[in-house]
Amino acid sequence: MRVLKHLALVIIFALVGSSVAQVNVVWWDFLGGGDGVRMKAMIDQFNAEHPDINIVGTTLEWGVPYYTRVQTAIPVGEGPDIMTYHSSRMPLGVPSGIFRPISDDELASVGLSTDDYFPAVVDAVTYDGEFMCVPLDIHSHVLYYNREILDSVGLIGDDGLPTGLDGEENFTEALRLIQAETGVLPFSISTDGGSVWRFVYSLYNQQNPGPLIDGTTVNAGEELARPVQLLADWVAEGLAPENAEYPASIALFTSGQAAMHVNGVWEVPTMVDLAASGDLFDWGAIAYPVFYDEPATWADSHCFGIPNDPRNPISGEKLDAVLTVIAWMNMNSLAWAGAGHIPAYLPVVESEEYQNLEPNATYAVLAETATFDPVSRIAGVASPLYDAIDNYIAPAMNGLLPVDQALEMFKMDLESQF
Amino acid sequence: MWRDALLLVAPFTILYIIFFLYPTARVFELSFTNAPLIGEGSYVGLANYERLMNDPLFMRSVRNTMYFVLLSVIPNTAVGLILALMVVRLKRLRPPVLAAFFLPFMLPVSVVTLIWLWMVDSNYGILQYILTYFNNGRPLAVFRNPDWAMPMVALVTVWWTVGFNMLLFLAGLQGISKEYYEAASLDGATRTQVFRFITWPLLWPITALVLTLQLIAQLKIFDQVYLLTGGGPFNSTIVMLQYVYREAFQQFRGGYASAISVSLFLMIFVLSIVQFLVLRGNRRRA
Repeated sequence: MRVLKHLALVIIFALVGSSVAQVNVVWWDFLGGGDGVRMKAMIDQFNAEHPDINIVGTTLEWGVPYYTRVQTAIPVGEGPDIMTYHSSRMPLGVPSGIFRPISDDELASVGLSTDDYFPAVVDAVTYDGEFMCVPLDIHSHVLYYNREILDSVGLIGDDGLPTGLDGEENFTEALRLIQAETGVLPFSISTDGGSVWRFVYSLYNQQNPGPLIDGTTVNAGEELARPVQLLADWVAEGLAPENAEYPASIALFTSGQAAMHVNGVWEVPTMVDLAASGDLFDWGAIAYPVFYDEPATWADSHCFGIPNDPRNPISGEKLDAVLTVIAWMNMNSLAWAGAGHIPAYLPVVESEEYQNLEPNATYAVLAETATFDPVSRIAGVASPLYDAIDNYIAPAMNGLLPVDQALEMFKMDLESQF
Repeated sequence: MWRDALLLVAPFTILYIIFFLYPTARVFELSFTNAPLIGEGSYVGLANYERLMNDPLFMRSVRNTMYFVLLSVIPNTAVGLILALMVVRLKRLRPPVLAAFFLPFMLPVSVVTLIWLWMVDSNYGILQYILTYFNNGRPLAVFRNPDWAMPMVALVTVWWTVGFNMLLFLAGLQGISKEYYEAASLDGATRTQVFRFITWPLLWPITALVLTLQLIAQLKIFDQVYLLTGGGPFNSTIVMLQYVYREAFQQFRGGYASAISVSLFLMIFVLSIVQFLVLRGNRRRA
């Protein structure tokens, strides 16, 4: 009995003690991959450095499950104190009122200012002049390459980087050369909606055609058909796999069976970790070549939102803690850059350490050429747009339907969803 | 006496009302509003239902659901029956064989779909040794091919759930008195005759039960489609519940999603009654 009593006392003191000394910050994110491991390390470091604040982190399933969860939890007062968000998914989230706007004064209280971020990202998270979500990074797509294979066919220049890949014709010729000389698969891309979208949308924007979704019109014209046709031609010629699930598309590259691979910068940790254990060839990552008129690459941004609980607004003390967390994450985002991402916070980007960080430095240009998703409630990660790519464009790529017919279905489906 | 009875059924009744009747009533109510996912909407009358009638994707999802039912209900029942007829003849080998057929049913759907996605992976899948034969020697991405996708989803479903039907049939077979079979063998009946005139009619109540359970279960198809194809390619596998999921949880249109749910509810209701009447008629004739 006495033991139990003592135990109860200890527990009570522990609970009381911690609630007095510490502010708990409930944190929800969707970072489950290699970058999630790095984010957990950052949270641990933050907690160690801040005895007065304790981040209680939960990682939820990326995509629709995550966004459904925040959308249902916040209005009934069961949401977190900080949530990660994709700027591309905000056009659906902001009108539902789940974001608490963050004022300049509040930012200034922890030493932040909207001038500290890439202007394009600030635009992406600003709605009606109100700053809704503090950007953490810009993440984009890059071209991963096997330097040994490219070198063996003379596609590596004097600077040690791939050369001769600019222009649709040149790129296709390079793929043919790789196939003829080495016999490996030249190009690996996952045929899931997200990956195909990012590639196709990048090449779409390289033709400077204007927004893909304009109000309730989907511009599925020749500028969109061109990159889809290009992929279909590569598949038909055997230069790209007919179908590859996401993990298989990476495995094709990391096992040396494919010479090049397009994927997000978030797979940099996969390559870094494999290389560190000696299981990977000499690899590199560069920004997408310019296939058409000008450089452009799809990009998105992870940001930190403060949920808006109308019935029980966040307390001043909690808000201070939340802002402290957000500021710290930004100022320490060099660790996040190790996950391949480009920090959105300019002082970190301008720091010497970041300027020398590889492979980020090689594709640093992405921050300037980033093209964000169309601003629409049907666009953004895990949106109907991604599903429609999966549904119509990816199979068209495999030659199951002529590209123009698939695009027509794609356009009709999306326009019916406004 | 009455009070005691009420007291005893109260826990169930209360839970049933809170967690079943109330949500069901709310779905009907929401289907007449333009409610978002959370919160109240305003009353819009039959607007959601009018929109349904002119929504090609909804019609497509109804057709696909029926196609899936066609592909899964009868094969699932027939294979279950055939397996049971084979297993019932075994003696010492029965438990391990039974376990082997029943094992898939114990797996969660996510595991089942992962196993199949690996087996048919177009770059590394072991089944490609067979599938390439159907595609002129090239790998066949079954879940990305509009002709193959739905039949494959049905095949995975049968593989996954047939063990349970087999078990029901096995119980039914063991319930048939041995005397019928003895009498039949004395009369010199062939195995086909024994099956046709003894096993089949006496097993009919079980068959009818399996068919009814199957119909209801397969109309509610969602998990396998969500995990294997996402509804594509070219909408060839989008089913009703998945359309509900998309509208409600991706686009936050609670009212419209409720209207689709109500349509599915009515469909299951009507089809179950029709099937019940048909199967009951069959039994009388038998």
